[in-house]
Amino acid sequence: MGRYDFRPLRVHQTTTQLLNADRISTPPPWYNVVGSITPAQTLVRSQALPHRQRKLPPKTKKASKLFQPQKISYEEDRLRKEFFKDHPWELARPRLVIENDGKDSHKTDWSHIQQKEKALSGESVVQRQLWLRHNVPNMSSAQAYDQARKEFYDLRLQEEVERRVAKEEATSTGAYFGPSSLDIGMKLEDKEYERWKAWAQRQVELRNQRNAAMYTGGVQSEDAALESDEKESDAAVEEVSDQIPAQGQSALGGAIVHP
Amino acid sequence: MIIRSAIRRHSHRIPTLPQLSWTRSLATEVDTETIEQSLDNSLRETHSIESQIQEKTIQIVPQIDARTHATQSLEQDGTAETYQQHRRRQKLTNPMGSTISPHYEPHTLLTHPPRPSDITLELLLASQAHLGHKTSHWNPMNSRYIFGIRQGIHVISLDVTAAYLRRACRVVSGVAEKGGLILFVGTRPGQDRCVVKAAEMAGGCHLFERWTPGSITNGHQILGRCRTKVVDEFDREIPGFDEELEDRPVLKPDLVVCLNPIENWVMLHECGLNAIPTIGIVDTDANPTWVTYPIPANDDSLRCVQVIAGALGRAGEEGQAKRKEKAAAGNITYDPVKLGRAMPTRGARGARTGGSGDDARSQ
Repeated sequence: MGRYDFRPLRVHQTTTQLLNADRISTPPPWYNVVGSITPAQTLVRSQALPHRQRKLPPKTKKASKLFQPQKISYEEDRLRKEFFKDHPWELARPRLVIENDGKDSHKTDWSHIQQKEKALSGESVVQRQLWLRHNVPNMSSAQAYDQARKEFYDLRLQEEVERRVAKEEATSTGAYFGPSSLDIGMKLEDKEYERWKAWAQRQVELRNQRNAAMYTGGVQSEDAALESDEKESDAAVEEVSDQIPAQGQSALGGAIVHP
Repeated sequence: MIIRSAIRRHSHRIPTLPQLSWTRSLATEVDTETIEQSLDNSLRETHSIESQIQEKTIQIVPQIDARTHATQSLEQDGTAETYQQHRRRQKLTNPMGSTISPHYEPHTLLTHPPRPSDITLELLLASQAHLGHKTSHWNPMNSRYIFGIRQGIHVISLDVTAAYLRRACRVVSGVAEKGGLILFVGTRPGQDRCVVKAAEMAGGCHLFERWTPGSITNGHQILGRCRTKVVDEFDREIPGFDEELEDRPVLKPDLVVCLNPIENWVMLHECGLNAIPTIGIVDTDANPTWVTYPIPANDDSLRCVQVIAGALGRAGEEGQAKRKEKAAAGNITYDPVKLGRAMPTRGARGARTGGSGDDARSQ
């Protein structure tokens, strides 16, 4: 084949040919080992493992999707989605994903929500919910969810109380804590506000300057014009009166008063 | 031993305790100056008491021998006794406290790597060997190794990984048993320790820096200055073959284990050109035809790479042990090299330079 290079896979065959052609005198140390342990098949595409029901189209001309790997889905996915939609801040809790020996599933027993090997989280609610559905007779999915949820809330409240008491104990024995996340958040907001205020003031100044530059007289001269004498303004109008068109005519592209 | 006793010399200069001035003020506004003054006073007082105590205590200064520059023995100043006391206390207190249940300790993968018999699907799962790359980055040649798609990435089948890894381990132990030279290559940051450990166990060579292109195809130029030696069946060096070794072609490995084939494609190509079998960790975006024995696993996880390198190193160790056992029984598993000059009586039978025999294709 053109695009493929099978030399690494044909190492044993190449060496056999070299030996037969007397290009090398003795076989290398790996020769018999590789000869006895053949490499696996390569470039074979078999049907993908079925994780979901495939809808066979009425006229199958080419089965292109048959060899594509499928998405893995579990019953728990729907329950996880529901739980985290109802409790979005549970997603903000840190989670340890490192496994010790990969046997976590052997060590958990979901007849109770709290586990030795696993921290309390949305996942424990989901597993507990499933256990209740499968093991308790006449338990609907909604009831299972409610019961698991309530057990979860009890434990979370307990954790909150423990945290508060621990903080009180620590403060009473002399510990002091830095700013809380709310304090830090407020400080950052204040800083951002001050930055915005400075920017906004600068923008207002610039806008005023631009407005002032639009008119020839400027803001001050406009005010001054309002305060000027009537006689002076009449005299000024008389000066340019012969260039200005007469009353009643609109000055479309008309006389421009040259200075 | 010099004992400094300052009392006799400085007794007339012992100062009297300074008069302390205590200013107590019940006013709401406290004067900072008086507080600072009182602080200074108390500090000075502490220092003076300290200096008095130091003057009065006997200070032992160990004498140094002028010729040998050795200090006096520590037994005389109580250091050994203090250490023994500390050890006794440790023995009492070590069993106290909580017992920590067995858990993952990263260093154990390097100090006590897993054996091929310890490979289980749970171990591979915990080592994140099943995590492939994004589905859009895949190489369809690897479709047989893929279990499915989860969260936008391909998940590698761990039973396939375990089977291929066990096969690779058999190859490594077989080549080691036959006295072949195995090269372990891992050039990503953090792979150096496991590569060195695996090479050490298998009695082979390691590489954790960049592979110089042409090290096999242009070996005479690049590796021509490297020292080679002749060893017997017990890996003891036989001296006196320096002249002959100069004329021999440069050594090539008999098996190459590559922990990151995507970065080392040049080396794998050279091995293909020179008919050298290779083993490599093939991720979902890598080309499995680049190596003779692919191991479909996650090459980005250091934990996974350490598990695989450890297992292959252990396999090599087992092969070396079998070879030495057979050598002790008088059975040499490889084809000894024929060298020109007369052999010395010790280890005459099993001389080898590592690498294949007289190779007509000299580089």
